Amino acid sequence: MIRYALGRVLAGIPVLWVVATVTFALLRFLPGGPFDKERVLPPEIRHNLERRYALEGTLAHQYVDYLERLARGDLGPSYKYVGRDVADILRDAVPVSLELGAAAFALAVVGGIGLGLAAGARRDTAVDRSIALGSLVGVSAPSFVVGAGLILCFGLGLGWLPAGLWEGPLYAVLPACTLAALPLAYAAQLTRAQVAGVMDQDYVRTARALGVPEARVRRRHVLRNALLAVMTYFGPLLAILLTGSFVVERIFAVPGMGRYFVTAVTNRDYPLVLGVTLVYAVLVVLANLAVDLLYAWLDPRIRVGGAER
Amino acid sequence: MNARGWVGLVIVLALAGLALAGDRLAGYRFDAQDTAQALAAPSLAHWLGCDALGRDLFARLCEGGRVSLLVAVGATALALALGLGYGALAGWVGGRLDALLMRGVDVIYALPDVLVTVLLIEVLQAALTGLPDLWRRLAALAVALGFAGFVGVARLVRALVLQAREEVWVEAARASGASPGRILLRHVLPNIAAPLFVSAAFRIPAAILAESTLSFIGLGIQPPFSSWGTLANDGFEAMRSYPHLIFFPCVAILCALLGFHLLGEALRERLAPRFRA
Amino acid sequence: MRRRATGLALAVVLALGCSRGFERAPARELRINLETEPPTLDWNLATDGVSIVAIEQLMRGLTRLGPDLRPEPDLAEHWDVSADGRTYTFQLRDGVVWSDGVPLRAQQFVDSWQRLLAPATAAEYAYFLFGVHNARAYNGGKLADFSQVGVRAPDDRTLVVELDAPLVYFPALVNFMVTFPLRRDLVERFGERWTEPGNLVTLGPFVLAEWRHDYRLVLRANERYWGGRPPLDRITAYMVQEGSTALVLFEQGLLDLVRIPPLEIRRYTERPEYLRQPLLRGYYYGFNVRKPPFDDVRVRRAFALAIDRSQFPALLRGGEQPESSWIPPGMPDANPELGLRFDPEQARALLREAGIDPAQLAPVKIVYNSDQTHKLVAEKVQAFWRDNLGVRVEVENREWKVYLKELSTDPPAVFRMGWGADFPDPDNFMNLFTSESENNHTGWGNREYDALVARAAREADPAERQRLYDRAQRILCEEDVPIVPLFVTAANFAVQPRVRDFRPSPMDLFFFEQVRAE
Repeated sequence: MIRYALGRVLAGIPVLWVVATVTFALLRFLPGGPFDKERVLPPEIRHNLERRYALEGTLAHQYVDYLERLARGDLGPSYKYVGRDVADILRDAVPVSLELGAAAFALAVVGGIGLGLAAGARRDTAVDRSIALGSLVGVSAPSFVVGAGLILCFGLGLGWLPAGLWEGPLYAVLPACTLAALPLAYAAQLTRAQVAGVMDQDYVRTARALGVPEARVRRRHVLRNALLAVMTYFGPLLAILLTGSFVVERIFAVPGMGRYFVTAVTNRDYPLVLGVTLVYAVLVVLANLAVDLLYAWLDPRIRVGGAER
Repeated sequence: MNARGWVGLVIVLALAGLALAGDRLAGYRFDAQDTAQALAAPSLAHWLGCDALGRDLFARLCEGGRVSLLVAVGATALALALGLGYGALAGWVGGRLDALLMRGVDVIYALPDVLVTVLLIEVLQAALTGLPDLWRRLAALAVALGFAGFVGVARLVRALVLQAREEVWVEAARASGASPGRILLRHVLPNIAAPLFVSAAFRIPAAILAESTLSFIGLGIQPPFSSWGTLANDGFEAMRSYPHLIFFPCVAILCALLGFHLLGEALRERLAPRFRA
Repeated sequence: MRRRATGLALAVVLALGCSRGFERAPARELRINLETEPPTLDWNLATDGVSIVAIEQLMRGLTRLGPDLRPEPDLAEHWDVSADGRTYTFQLRDGVVWSDGVPLRAQQFVDSWQRLLAPATAAEYAYFLFGVHNARAYNGGKLADFSQVGVRAPDDRTLVVELDAPLVYFPALVNFMVTFPLRRDLVERFGERWTEPGNLVTLGPFVLAEWRHDYRLVLRANERYWGGRPPLDRITAYMVQEGSTALVLFEQGLLDLVRIPPLEIRRYTERPEYLRQPLLRGYYYGFNVRKPPFDDVRVRRAFALAIDRSQFPALLRGGEQPESSWIPPGMPDANPELGLRFDPEQARALLREAGIDPAQLAPVKIVYNSDQTHKLVAEKVQAFWRDNLGVRVEVENREWKVYLKELSTDPPAVFRMGWGADFPDPDNFMNLFTSESENNHTGWGNREYDALVARAAREADPAERQRLYDRAQRILCEEDVPIVPLFVTAANFAVQPRVRDFRPSPMDLFFFEQVRAE
């Protein structure tokens, strides 16, 4: 298993290299340099600026220079935030996004699976129908709709929860709920479909016929299969949580890295764009690895390198 | 198709109808300004009220619907086309080409899709200089979103093609010496059309969602035209004082997505029960 | 099982509802919204309105601006001007110390100005001091020895500045942050991190206690401030980008001072928390006089006459004040009577005289940078020209960076721009449109205008200065019309009642040293 894990990690490195190159290339095609402002600068100053931020020289030169510094772990200075390194900016922002993402993840998975199980076990009852409808609405609501609704209701209307900022655990509630809404609904749908399917399968019927208690039937077979099905969704789920956070962070003023996905591009802050992309790529590779390992652990039929049953 | 599917179809058709001809019903042009009516609440004269420039919101929603649906359909068409080509190539040829193409998919998955979309929009916006302004933006959005979405389709197509290769009639066709192109076209494609169609039915709402989110933060369609997302953004700024400005665009988006999801679910049940888009 | 779950849920809900989980009104603490991360706190390098808010609480300069916007002594106790108006001698105040105990010395000003002008610093505002003798040459790398530049500190308490030509507004100029004194030893020691909390040493009413980037900045009262310790203990400046979220936070009691988003203003105008401050910030539409049909001055005048500025206040609701002249009211030598007023009849007549048939004219393009306000204005002007002149108008928007590039390389036929005062002197506004100004995107030049502006900058007699600027404004706003001033903007704040003595200035600056919060 360890060799498998290491192999996957190593396989991720060329991916990261390609990511760095592709983003680097794309960015150079964008119009507008990073220093345009309301006041046009005299040429001496513009020249000074270009020299300071290593925008001189040929494209090839800049690219090689960039790769060299990357290898040293130096993501370079930000263009927009004078005097700050990209690594520093991300060091502050990434943990916040991870916290928010983890909270939303837990909510989505626990809530989604829970609701899906409840619905699947009580097919065609009022509970099942309302959960089905609710999750349908949930996958149809963009995050800004959910966010606006939550702010109006819980922030202003009831006044229980702060409508923004990140000062304590209570502040995380509304943003995490907003971020988790769509994934939760989708997970509930997946689970519900899975549970309904499994309940009918032969081996479950056999187990019941053999007199195995209902609860055990549920726990061992249904739950495990439902989890497996939802886990196929974990990879995209993480992606959604990380990138979807840019709207949530903007609405709720949460200091995460989601906003940089957008602002770094619109500001032409090249080093920050590259830094953010690389962090994201690393997280995706790690997440996929984790999911694969989890999958292998949960489903012995797929265990890599093991004998077939 | 079950009852819910019909409901979805009705919703989708109603929205499409409104988008195409709704503002003629209302009698206002989407860009007719009337400062005296600025920010008016819903009334008989203006069914959904007016925005800050006194433009009728119902007319704006209809025009926004045109834009949102156009972008979504364009993006979906592109995603399907790209995904079909990519996936079929990988699945049919197999071997090292397949491995390489799948590596490409890994790389694309490792890129944050928001960032890539934003980048692509800017690059395309600068590159497509020949077109008039609105179409340039629409094209940039559709291409960027289509590109962001094709990978899922590619994976699906590849799996389907791989499976189809094992089918008896395909083996027979190959044995009889038919060219790969012909086999793909006549034998494989008809069989994978159903799941693809279902996939399309789900891609459209995903594109609407993506476009409205981008427009919400100001990167989507540009003024004076609007999409549901930009209308929602306008409304968000005045959420407390003029809730009608955000309420109706959100309802429109919700209905569109709901309709397409219902339709898609029903189609899947009917046409391709084993595949999840 | 089900009953227990509901019971538990109810308990959680009640607990949430009753909890004072977030502090609503801490005493002697002010919580404001900066709206975005300050790009830097380095006052030689900063260029924008957000950084200024923080810097102005942390640092002071030679002069400050009084309520009438005339310069008053701050770190400089008094100053003398030579007879030819070219040499200024500033006497520094006694007893001023930096937050680490080091006393203020005149050499620290010289160090700061050197750093501002040094080519290696690449400061965008270096040109601000180009009036100082040899400053431009030093910044351009043509002069290596800074001692030849016209600023020196003969002793710890005296600063002498030599200008190339007399500048009447020079004492107002040195209120601006780029001229603040600098601790060179610390900059050298900490390099680019010298503005981080723990490293940063300042001498203003507040010190930097914490800076959590892109989220919040915390300032604490400076016990050693020469003007006396300020009443506030602490200022927390958050960075909430969404105006409506900030307003909700204000209404929840989590913020004390916010700017009100345009569309919410009407709901606030009757409330006690509302505060409006007209600003020295002008908004104008410019023509590229090299692009037809705007190469004909009659066409420019016609388009200017077709705009009914009185509709902007109702449209934008931000306290915008229609202005047909360029120097904003509140600025010395302003004259709101000047400029072209709305007259659609004359506008149409002028178009006919210029031989233009509106139906045949190619669509005129207005280009602006993406923003709610700019969008509203552009669409409004589009309607004016369409309805009053019969001309077809297209509206396009660009991203800020792309927009600026376009302005400097190939300005659109019609573009929008704003200008906020760097220092409260009309020269700052008027020299924008001289032939050699790098911020003049109209392509227009007028020798009489250039001469008038240059003379006025040096004119000491207030009456004569007024006359010169009036004539220059006539040329700019009535005769040649390369630009059409539209309005002057105002700042609209919501302030919690517990905050007292908050007085914003027309320069859009805040000084919190006298503010109290119960």
